[in-house]
Amino acid sequence: MAWTGSIVALHTAPRSFLPMKSMDSLDLIEGVGVKGDRYASENGFYSDRPEEGRQITLFELETLTALKRDYGIELAADDHRRNVTTINVPLNHLVGERIQIGDCLLEATRLSTPCRHIEQITGQEIFEPLLHRSGLHARILRGGTIRVDDTITLARKA
Amino acid sequence: MAKSIHRVSVTLTDVTPLASDIKLFRLADPDGWDLPAFDPGAHIDLHLPSGTTRQYSLCGDAADRSCYEIAVKHEDAGRGGSKEAHGLKPGAELLVSLPRNLLPLVSTQPVVIIAGGIGITPFVPMLAQMSRTNQSYALHYASRHDDAPFAQALKSTHPDNVVIYPNDTEQRLDIALIIAELPENAHLYCCGPNRMIDDVIAQTQHMKDRVHIEYFGGTIDPAQKSYDVHLARSGRTIGVQKGQTMLEALRAADIEVPASCEGGICMDCKTRFTAGEPEHRDIMMPKSERGQFLTPCVSGCLGKEITLDL
Repeated sequence: MAWTGSIVALHTAPRSFLPMKSMDSLDLIEGVGVKGDRYASENGFYSDRPEEGRQITLFELETLTALKRDYGIELAADDHRRNVTTINVPLNHLVGERIQIGDCLLEATRLSTPCRHIEQITGQEIFEPLLHRSGLHARILRGGTIRVDDTITLARKA
Repeated sequence: MAKSIHRVSVTLTDVTPLASDIKLFRLADPDGWDLPAFDPGAHIDLHLPSGTTRQYSLCGDAADRSCYEIAVKHEDAGRGGSKEAHGLKPGAELLVSLPRNLLPLVSTQPVVIIAGGIGITPFVPMLAQMSRTNQSYALHYASRHDDAPFAQALKSTHPDNVVIYPNDTEQRLDIALIIAELPENAHLYCCGPNRMIDDVIAQTQHMKDRVHIEYFGGTIDPAQKSYDVHLARSGRTIGVQKGQTMLEALRAADIEVPASCEGGICMDCKTRFTAGEPEHRDIMMPKSERGQFLTPCVSGCLGKEITLDL
């Protein structure tokens, strides 16, 4: 499957429930997470259920378009609460694969699942519409800085 | 005790006296991050260091994401929450819930508000919003305080929309007259002492869903009649008087029931019932449990008696 995608938005928040803030770049720390993000500092809503493969999260811009088209739901890039919003990246097909973004290397660990927590925060009933398209969890194999508009490609496995 | 990751962490940045027994508390993110948004009329649960949880209306401007403001009246005869809150000092680290709104503001119709005392709090952000959106609104605000909270600021910001009824003047708040002069299709909001709320409810039956009431603490239904609670295990019978919650009646009879929010939210006091028909007034219990459990802090009784598995 040949594809080349890119980053359309980057977001982070330092603690659970706080609104996600749009960033031009994010610093990824190998084996830890996104610098300043709630899951790197164990301040996330699910930090009491540690998960080594949840160091960074990604979400497709195409899903936001589909939610609007199929359900009339207006969800913005800062509402889905994942760190990286992508375009032209088939996230659902990448579990077990490695992803290159600039100098950074990620390993996709599992599909994200929607949660009622996000309904609490957004006030919108989006749990069911997000089933099977709620993004991707990944581990950071090589850290560095990622920026909006960076190219995303599939990396060769070691 | 709630985990910090399951609540919003805030720092108490300012404590300002609003009246002789009322303080304004300003809560902000420890690092100055924006706080979760709220709509006018919303409230938060404040988790006090002792583990007690109390609900307070947000009385700051909803457009200001940098802080939450709550006003707390010291209740000498209260359950202790306001006393503990009044002892808090700036710098205290606290947990609060996400804002919840059980008193949403209608967006287009004219709005008339009747407020008494500390019952003014949910309406302060409503006035700011309606002023910004050019919605038609009027506030009638009665207070026994000479220094009624927010009165001067509201009068100066909304001079044509706010009428203050101080305790020491001849001008009395006439609920019947206000209702008689309501604009067509107006929505009426009220929060204040139970007597004021009783009056408003009694005179607005014809308005149906155009009347919006917020109770202090949200616990007592003024229409609730007295009833008996039978305790299946101990064989005792406890009377619940009009104006009293089931939890208060149980406590008065030295029956310990764990409770925290006392507003039908935390479910700490959830208790099984085995006979009778409760009137559920909580906002959290799943429908699947409502046939077996009730929350003594807010639940009423639709008949003359109910039996608890205690």
